[in-house]
Amino acid sequence: MSEMVGRLFNWVNDRLPVANTFERHLSKHPVPSKVNFWYLFGALASVVLIIQIVSGIWLIMPYSNTEEEAFASIEYIMRDVDYGWVIRYMHTTGASMFFAVVYLHMFRGLLYGSYQKPKELVWIFGCTIYLAMMAEGFLGYVLPYGQMSYWGAQVIISLFGAIPYIGESLELWIRGDYYISGITVSRFFALHVVALPLVLIALVFLHLVALHEVGAGNPEGVDIEEHLDEDGVPLDSVPFFPYKVLNALVGIGVFMTVFAIIMFFFPEGGGYFIEMANFEEANPLVTPEHIAPVWYYSPYYAMLRAVPDKLGGLIVMGSAVAILFVVPWLDKSKVASIRYKGIYSKVALAMFGISFITLGYLGTVGVTEVRKTMSVICTIIYFAFFLLMPIYTKYEKTLEVPKRL
Amino acid sequence: MNIRSLKFLDNKFKQYLFLLGIVFFVNNIDSAEGGPCKDYGDCDEFKYSLNDMASLQRGASTFLNYCYGCHSLQYSRWGRVATDLQIPEEIFFENLVFDKTIKPGDLMIGSMSKEKSAEWFGVAPPDLTLISRVRGDDWIYSYLRAYYEDSSKQYGVNNLVYPGTAMPNVLAALQGSQKLVCKDVPVIAKNGGEKRDDYGNTITKQKCGYLEVDEGSGELSKEQFDKLIYDLTNFLVYVGEPAKATRERMGWYVIFYFLIFTALSALLYREYHKDYYK
Repeated sequence: MSEMVGRLFNWVNDRLPVANTFERHLSKHPVPSKVNFWYLFGALASVVLIIQIVSGIWLIMPYSNTEEEAFASIEYIMRDVDYGWVIRYMHTTGASMFFAVVYLHMFRGLLYGSYQKPKELVWIFGCTIYLAMMAEGFLGYVLPYGQMSYWGAQVIISLFGAIPYIGESLELWIRGDYYISGITVSRFFALHVVALPLVLIALVFLHLVALHEVGAGNPEGVDIEEHLDEDGVPLDSVPFFPYKVLNALVGIGVFMTVFAIIMFFFPEGGGYFIEMANFEEANPLVTPEHIAPVWYYSPYYAMLRAVPDKLGGLIVMGSAVAILFVVPWLDKSKVASIRYKGIYSKVALAMFGISFITLGYLGTVGVTEVRKTMSVICTIIYFAFFLLMPIYTKYEKTLEVPKRL
Repeated sequence: MNIRSLKFLDNKFKQYLFLLGIVFFVNNIDSAEGGPCKDYGDCDEFKYSLNDMASLQRGASTFLNYCYGCHSLQYSRWGRVATDLQIPEEIFFENLVFDKTIKPGDLMIGSMSKEKSAEWFGVAPPDLTLISRVRGDDWIYSYLRAYYEDSSKQYGVNNLVYPGTAMPNVLAALQGSQKLVCKDVPVIAKNGGEKRDDYGNTITKQKCGYLEVDEGSGELSKEQFDKLIYDLTNFLVYVGEPAKATRERMGWYVIFYFLIFTALSALLYREYHKDYYK
């Protein structure tokens, strides 16, 4: 029996690089031996991606992408489909958790300089994934066709109308209609379930291939490739499989416990994960009292509202995401990790984190004069963090990075 | 994880707490909107009990007798309600379903035409399947108890939670006539205690806007009426998400599973870790 299995394996292996790939990317792939919990979020993001794809496939089966039936089909899933509510809540919770882990993953990047040479491409693919995720999340939020789906989409799509000359035709082209309708829903459905998932999977693949080419970083910013043993394996490394896999498994266990707590006990996330107004069917004649995006877009929404001019707001919002892409060239520091950077970098990153979270809060609440001023201040801090980076990283005093991990 | 990164986190955390404090302080002195219960003030807190079948059954009965004439539950099915509320199907269909052509698999789509009712009431009575999720249970519980007599309105009633509501107080016969009254209330001093005059008598001032039912004007006492609304709200919470009770029960098992999963993977990791890092 075992001989047969062995022969079968050999037969396949002669035709497909199974053992080779396993060794290269898992059992002999060296990763830094000492990292901290910040390094778990990449693995967690891939777990959520799988959850989203699998639950998404099951949601497509009973969902109806027409104007008349979209909303009712969601309730059909919640009531009449066996365990339909499990699948749906998995998907809605997954969406929020995807952004939560990706935000932490990106913050890790800023914290430990995970974008520095030679990891620029890893970072750029990552930023593109984030951009694709934002589009994917927006398209998905429209599909239940509730009030917030409708009016949220209305606000977002109308932003494109602010672009000079082509704005209005662009708006029309995106909606496929003069107002948001069944046509919009069905095209968003196609993009949400086929087009963007393909893009996302391709980007994740590139993100990982690029990462395996240049090697994972560590919180010390030490280049582990500089000290190799006689076989050419870095001294401060462990094989990815089974050590890092098992390490990640513990993280996944903790993460899934949190996921389950939210999914089974707080699926609406207090109105931040599923907004209350979205339990009302889309009604083009009634505007909800308070249109707010889901929490993961709210920092950008706050920036948009901080600028009085619509086009200006759009530019600010777009630049806030675009500026992430050039971070590898903004950081002029000799060291990667925040541990060895100077005080300016530390203060800048802390201020950046605080202002981003504050913007996130401001984006979910109504506008008042004071809040508007705060949004402006936080938006300025957000951009200052990036735009001043070449200066403060270049001229600050850094600490000596150790040779070994 | 090493100490330095913890320390860094710690500092950042303190700064963040400080800023969060400022945000909420500013937010308090600068609130943009009132509460969802409008003139009623804070909504009364509602705690659902979806495992209390008797309450849900009474709620369903109240709904079908008093509300279903105008309000549909269009995403909910008759048979499902009977099953979930543990009412034997024959009893359910005999006593609570008035249209005898209805089958258990039918949706509770109501019997009133939307066009006609819009003509009668100004707006068509909304479907209530998801009302507990749109408005929240606190809101419903407060709203149904916040009607008061107001002769300036079309149906002679108004509502503190939803001023200008188009719905008449269908449950008025049970509740009795509730009016807005003024009361003499103690003046509260700066230190939080009641203000007294030189003779030790409490100083009062007149405050209006209190709801009060004329005693004996309704079929039910205040407690009984509150209980009725509790059951009705509880039923609406159930209808809003029929799987809610199952969800909360199942959640514990899933969490338990993942805790075991975490513990086992931690043990496994430790074994491997020992062996590699020696």
